Amino acid sequence: MALLIRTVARQGMCSSRSQFGVFYRHAAPMGTTAKEEMNKFWAKNTQLNRPLSPHVSIYKWSVPMAMSISHRGTGVALSSGISLFAVAALVLPGSYPYYLDLIHSLSYGPHFLAFSKFALAFPVVYHTFNGIRHLIWDVGRGFKIPEVYRSGYTVLALTLFTSIGLAAM
Amino acid sequence: MAALVRISSLCHRGISPVLFRSSTLIRPVATQKHERDCPYSISARIHATPSYHAGSGSKAAAMHWTGERILSIALLGLAPVAYFFPGPVVDYSLAAALTLHGHWGFGQVVTDYVHGDSRIKMANAGLFILSTVTFAGLCYFNYHDVGICKAVALLWSK
Repeated sequence: MALLIRTVARQGMCSSRSQFGVFYRHAAPMGTTAKEEMNKFWAKNTQLNRPLSPHVSIYKWSVPMAMSISHRGTGVALSSGISLFAVAALVLPGSYPYYLDLIHSLSYGPHFLAFSKFALAFPVVYHTFNGIRHLIWDVGRGFKIPEVYRSGYTVLALTLFTSIGLAAM
Repeated sequence: MAALVRISSLCHRGISPVLFRSSTLIRPVATQKHERDCPYSISARIHATPSYHAGSGSKAAAMHWTGERILSIALLGLAPVAYFFPGPVVDYSLAAALTLHGHWGFGQVVTDYVHGDSRIKMANAGLFILSTVTFAGLCYFNYHDVGICKAVALLWSK
């Protein structure tokens, strides 16, 4: 059935009725775009104050799902951090070494330093390795579910060990 | 080509209209049993991209996607270069690549979660300002202060 629809669609929606075949006796092309349809849907339902059905809150979490949102989360966090750093560079009067020494005078010892390095490195490393995983998907490979899980666990393992390695440097 | 099929039946038996956010998905609608139950007219409104869009549409979105991937790969390559050859060239390249990668990434977040024409416009305007300030700040840091590569090296040296 899906194949039929797809074949019909791919041949292009000409006005000739004969293309539609048995299942679409009274078919006629619509005048609105998909975007307009979506906007109409949202406008109507928000205007009627309809509540949204629970979705993210009830769906069972999976490793790929969690990794995907973590990729976005780390990306947002890192980008925000960079922006914060840039604004600080523009606004604060002192130089970087000055503030670095200031932070170091506040730290609680070598273990705290190592942990801070780990905490800083972890999101960067995770985002990088998962980013590579995304690029592999982008060339069309690794979509089978076992492959998705395997690559996911690989990214997690690599992230952990690389972050520890970087924190030790 | 995208086709969205909505089958609305005159006998009000619900095959619920399948509306998705992604217009490239084609979900098979179970019409066969439906047609047998409802022999009198079933009207099917076939929603399709108008023929004048077919094939000759703007390639802007596809090129943007490709640009994002190329930038990601460039940024990936920049990391070892920054480690082995720190200096102003890498500093400014990193500033540009990081800012643009973050700008495009945030752009996807806005596209996914912000709805409504005016809200989308405002969000993108705010994002543009943020990215501009970010790039300016990083360039300022590269010029007047130690630079990105040296900053990371100093941070890790203690």
